[in-house]
Amino acid sequence: MINIYFHHRIFRVLSLCLLFPFSLIGQETITGTVTHEQGEPLIGVNIIVKDMANQGTVTDLDGSFVLDLPAGATTLIFSYTGFQTQEISIADRIDWNITLESAVLTLDQIVVVGYGVQRKSDLTGAISTIESKELQRIPTSSFEQALQGKIAGVQVTPSSGEPGRGAEIRIRGVGTLNDASPLYVVDGMLLDDISFINLQDVESVEVLKDASATAIYGSRGANGVIIITTKKGTISDKPTVSLSTYTGWQQLANKIKLTNAFEYATLANELAVNERRPTIFPDPSIFGEGVDWQDEIYGTATIQNHSLALRGGNEAIRYQISGDYFNQDGIQHGSNFQRFTLRLNNEYTVSKHVNIGHNLAIVRDWETISPDQSGTAYRADPTIPPRAEDGTFNDLTTNASTGNPIASIFYANSRNKGYRMVGNAYADIKLFKNFTYRSNVGLDINQTRGKFFTPVFFVSATQRNDESVLTATSDQIQSWLWDNTLTFYKEWPNHRLTVLGGTTSQVYNSENLSGTGRALIGDTDEFLFLAAATSDEPSNSNTSFQWSMLSYLFRVNYTYKDKYLFTGSFRADGSSRFGAENRYGYFPSLAIGWNVINEPFMANQQLLTRLKLRTSWGVIGNDKIGAYPGRPLVNSPYYYALGPNEKLNVGATIEGLPNPTIQWEETSQFNFGFELGFLNNRLLAEIDYYNRTTDKILIDLALPGHFGIRDNFPFVNAAKVQNRGIDLKIDWQDNINKLNYSAGIVLSTVKNEVLELGENKSELIGGALSGGRFGTRTIPGLPIGAFYGYSTEGIFQTAEEIASQPTVGVEVPGDLRYADTNGDGAITTADRTYLGSAIPDLIWGATIGLEYGGFDFSIDFTGQQGNLIFNAKKQARFGTYNFDVSYLDRWTGPGSSNSEPRVTNGGHNYEVSDRFLEDGSYWRLRNISIGYAIPSRILTKFNVQQFRVYVSGTDIFTSTKYTGYAPEFSSGDVLSVGIDRGIYPVAKTYNVGLNVSF
Amino acid sequence: MRQNKQKGKKMKSIFIIFIVFILIGCSKDFLEEKPLGQLTSDNFFITAEHAIQSVNATYESLRDFRVHVFAYLALTDIISDDADKGSTPSDGAPVQVADDFTFDAGSLIVDETWQGYYRGIKRANWVIAKVPGIDMDPVLRSRIVGEARFLRAYFYFNMVRWWGGLPLVLEPLNREDIRIDRSSVEEVYAAIINDLTEAVEVLPLKSEYPAADLGRITKGAAQGLLAKVFLTRKEYDKTVEMGMAVINSGQYTLAPNYARIWSKEGENGPESIFEVQATPSLIGGWSQFNQVQGIRPSRGWGFNRPSDDLVRTYEPGDPRREATVLYVGEVVPDGSYVVPDNPEIFNERYNQKAWVPDSERAAGAGSDQGGGNIRILRYADVLLMVAEALNELGQSDQALLYINMIRDRARGTLPPQILRPVTTTDQSELRELIWKERRVELGMEQHRWFDLLRTDRAATVMQAHGKNFVPGKNELLPIPQSQIDLSAGTVTQNPGY
Repeated sequence: MINIYFHHRIFRVLSLCLLFPFSLIGQETITGTVTHEQGEPLIGVNIIVKDMANQGTVTDLDGSFVLDLPAGATTLIFSYTGFQTQEISIADRIDWNITLESAVLTLDQIVVVGYGVQRKSDLTGAISTIESKELQRIPTSSFEQALQGKIAGVQVTPSSGEPGRGAEIRIRGVGTLNDASPLYVVDGMLLDDISFINLQDVESVEVLKDASATAIYGSRGANGVIIITTKKGTISDKPTVSLSTYTGWQQLANKIKLTNAFEYATLANELAVNERRPTIFPDPSIFGEGVDWQDEIYGTATIQNHSLALRGGNEAIRYQISGDYFNQDGIQHGSNFQRFTLRLNNEYTVSKHVNIGHNLAIVRDWETISPDQSGTAYRADPTIPPRAEDGTFNDLTTNASTGNPIASIFYANSRNKGYRMVGNAYADIKLFKNFTYRSNVGLDINQTRGKFFTPVFFVSATQRNDESVLTATSDQIQSWLWDNTLTFYKEWPNHRLTVLGGTTSQVYNSENLSGTGRALIGDTDEFLFLAAATSDEPSNSNTSFQWSMLSYLFRVNYTYKDKYLFTGSFRADGSSRFGAENRYGYFPSLAIGWNVINEPFMANQQLLTRLKLRTSWGVIGNDKIGAYPGRPLVNSPYYYALGPNEKLNVGATIEGLPNPTIQWEETSQFNFGFELGFLNNRLLAEIDYYNRTTDKILIDLALPGHFGIRDNFPFVNAAKVQNRGIDLKIDWQDNINKLNYSAGIVLSTVKNEVLELGENKSELIGGALSGGRFGTRTIPGLPIGAFYGYSTEGIFQTAEEIASQPTVGVEVPGDLRYADTNGDGAITTADRTYLGSAIPDLIWGATIGLEYGGFDFSIDFTGQQGNLIFNAKKQARFGTYNFDVSYLDRWTGPGSSNSEPRVTNGGHNYEVSDRFLEDGSYWRLRNISIGYAIPSRILTKFNVQQFRVYVSGTDIFTSTKYTGYAPEFSSGDVLSVGIDRGIYPVAKTYNVGLNVSF
Repeated sequence: MRQNKQKGKKMKSIFIIFIVFILIGCSKDFLEEKPLGQLTSDNFFITAEHAIQSVNATYESLRDFRVHVFAYLALTDIISDDADKGSTPSDGAPVQVADDFTFDAGSLIVDETWQGYYRGIKRANWVIAKVPGIDMDPVLRSRIVGEARFLRAYFYFNMVRWWGGLPLVLEPLNREDIRIDRSSVEEVYAAIINDLTEAVEVLPLKSEYPAADLGRITKGAAQGLLAKVFLTRKEYDKTVEMGMAVINSGQYTLAPNYARIWSKEGENGPESIFEVQATPSLIGGWSQFNQVQGIRPSRGWGFNRPSDDLVRTYEPGDPRREATVLYVGEVVPDGSYVVPDNPEIFNERYNQKAWVPDSERAAGAGSDQGGGNIRILRYADVLLMVAEALNELGQSDQALLYINMIRDRARGTLPPQILRPVTTTDQSELRELIWKERRVELGMEQHRWFDLLRTDRAATVMQAHGKNFVPGKNELLPIPQSQIDLSAGTVTQNPGY
């Protein structure tokens, strides 16, 4: 059964040339109405005459229709998105009052796949689809953040709570030591940065997880692919206007528990005694609560979004125009992000065989950056108020050696303004009956201009600026892409075949321009231009890099009797990043599927309404390693003054190391999955087992200091890592009388294991901490970037105990007792051991939805289980910083504590040990929403299609044992995952909103 | 029929476009991307300009925060009996460990120093390996290599004195060279002496350099540093030989006014042999050496406080005490400023050889972009080395000449009862006097710790100074644990750590 919906999607997505030239010659006229089960009229139901696809009509605002029946008409087909399609024989019918039943879940959904679309029932790959309304519940500018907890196998970690920031996405674990972010494909344009996406514009999202689905993206697909399709225009009598708007309030979700001024002063004195220095505070009891620096820097911030869209169209032109304005303040004072998005998605039918179209987003954003003070607020001295009585900022360096965070915020003046245009233009040309040629040009132009100004100020010896300085930056990214594909599609009675072949090329260029001027003639906005600088030493910089790719792709999809499915794909990628010998990578995949439900032997059972088995294997690559990894660059200028006038002489040297033999990273992935539907698809389940092995992993491995390199280590193919696990998705949907309810859960497990390391290495070292210490080791047999250090066994209570136990030799009573893991009677670096992993065993999300009358209610949860966090911010003390409340349980004499050592700023108790490891498991109330929609029978009188108001709360409660801001944070470097060096916390949000369309 | 024909034509043209595109795509150049605006190893070390730039980059390492700033002061002055940590009691915990002998293999200052020095060595290695192959003026070419050899020797000399044997890297490395054992102390010194001997051969005298090259390494610098290497090795005859070469070169004299050596005008003065060049520029060329020790809070961070013990060591009336220690209430030497009382600093005082003159700050800029040069080797140091070596060789009477040159200059126009000439020729008595003279003449100039080590007095002196110095351990620094780990255990730890 190829339903209308299928054609419709094909039309919109692939733009196959299906036209509906209306014939108005009628012989008999019928009239009727279409309603749903509860008796409400359905507006815009498609009604066509069977076998005469160009004959038909749609229902009007009252759900009624008039249709002139052409000669030979036998059957009418009624179809409506979200409802079961009905075929009704004309001969039998007198009464044309039709009731459509809601389709519990549409089985024959069309799914967007790489360079094409496929029926869901024909899929052999692991592809998850998410509806846009699921995403739009979360008030955020970030598409990535909205995905959290929604898709099995996808871990979303907010990169920062700063306004306008995105999130880190990991699909099926970490298979690379490099950038493990997925590839984004927005309307056919391949992108790494999708911060421009307005959530209201998103029509559908497909997450491609296994090799059968991603291999067509070759070297770009190793970390999974997220395909975003934006909303398009539709054929309708009159245009639809949609307005959606919300306003919300954000607050710090969770405060870190720190000592108050009295407790701080007490501990600081004790610390001074322990480190044999004079005490600092003569009388700690004069301090009470003191200053709560978190209260000082965080406050309530607003978030709002207003979106207006117009869509409609006819046979010649379909259009979608939308505008969106987003404005978010940061919960840390002084930060703000605003974005305006304009989207024009049009399609034109030029002739019977040619469709052309474009999807274009034009984005303007403004960002006011407040320097992240979360780390300083965590450390700052609570005995000193932010300002002196005369209003000047106080110096906080005396005891805690920190800057004054309020002063840092006050004196910061950093702003970015961006323009971005992302879009594509395409032509679909129907050649012969079964061939379609598509040429697609994608473009991304991103221009960001920054102004970073620091006025003259003085707070302390280390927090000061003696001359005003302005840095102006201009960053430009340009990327273009050109796809040319030819698709063959043909159906025979028992066979369906799609063959795709094509080429694609992409060029990416980034150029940065910046200048710095000093001693500006004024501090106010009108002087923040380099021309206002009076210093005669302006500095400027202009750097650029470029990479290019050229690829060939090929895919076959074959279905036999709707039962047996086969997919094979192949892509050859050439990348400019590699030397000529290793320039091309080849990425094949194979997959088979079996729709068991369509077998005759399944015909007589009622329980199962869907049963499919599928399995796939393929190889995908990764080349995200910088533009020129093979050859070292010459670094310049290094200045040195010579001569009587101290003239600056330019120096240049080679800081890096060459590695001309560098090769592609390769991921091979095996997937086995079931798709199940029970009870007329009220219960749907998808279960996938995956095994993903990445070989020749590229990493800029740290080298010993004798190389004289610290920041630009060369990339090498260094390791082989396996990720195994299960992705599970279960959905239940039903109704009790008028109460519709649904519940869903997504759940995924990851077991990460390093299989082998290259270069005869026994371990990789990562997770740099203070003092040149490293927090993680990557060792075969263990998870990647595993925590590695001393295991503690309580506290030494007495000198006698120290004398009788293995020690380092520096311990005094009150110090940590490290485990003698090798049993040699002494504590040495050889006793450091595996302490656990930051990779969760289980990630999950759950959702419950209820609808009754016009009311709707939904609640989402998300969580993870079994990961550890290294609290690095607690381990680094370069001064007498404020203390976590855990220090109040410190050892003060025999028997006083066996968990918290005596108070010190460094030394023995600050080695990398499980003292700083905490459980990162959590569950979170991700979102709770209640809405009310005015019934359509009332709305119809006002010509309104939808009117819904709602209130919603996001991230309002988290249950975790972790003492930092949040148990989830991104760390960038995969060997440093789970090391909390201090994060800008994510906020909780309450918002109210309104959706109207007419 | 006709329609089909037309259709066929259309098809054909489309297929041609398609095929043409594929062919264009096959063009090899499409995937050739050259780095933009940057040279690579393929097109560097070709011209004389490249040679000069590569050695300039090696000089630049001398200004590195990790080579000659915070950790350097911690591991030379603060670790010794000349200075305490300074600043407010709890500021600068990473440096406190040097004052307390509580540093370990994870201490920041140890790791930073190791990395900073090897970065300089790497840059020198590029010059020494690649510049000889450049087609250019042979005299300039060998001078550039000589400068790099000196700098490499200097970096290794500090390192070998801190850590003992080291992974000895004398040429650019390949990625595979991860496991390099520590060479013995003997081997490291052999490399240092070899480099300095070569440098002495090819480098011009101070007066032979064009004025625009003032600040580059001279023959005298190489000879002077070699003298110090030999003195450290207790090879006294060679010390005298090299020291006398400096003295007899006629290139250096003692500056008439001791206190003015550390003024802006005193930079590259008559007794300057090796000095790190810095300029208060905002785009580069500056050093934070002085800022770290500057008057807190307005002119610096206030670290490296001259110790009570040092203050007590000066003979009554020795003007060098006043020239070395800057007290609260004192007017700074350029007269621009009175040191204010900072109640947060216990027993506040500063290193007067490193305070930041306002003239050494870039127009209105922060003290971090300071322009004060770092005096590494002075003529006075060479004279005292020669005196010490002569005394050890039994020529104590001749030694008197040089020690008294130092005392005479210090005395200047003051009454003769101040800093009376030394007259004893008793070898051990004179030895003590020369050591003491070194301490006061070179106080707060980062020589004391190395002097204590080379004369085997570190344990006695530091324990008497009340420090928890462990003999047999604290003479050497710990090898950074990160280095042991990253070299897969090839680099081994020093005893006791």
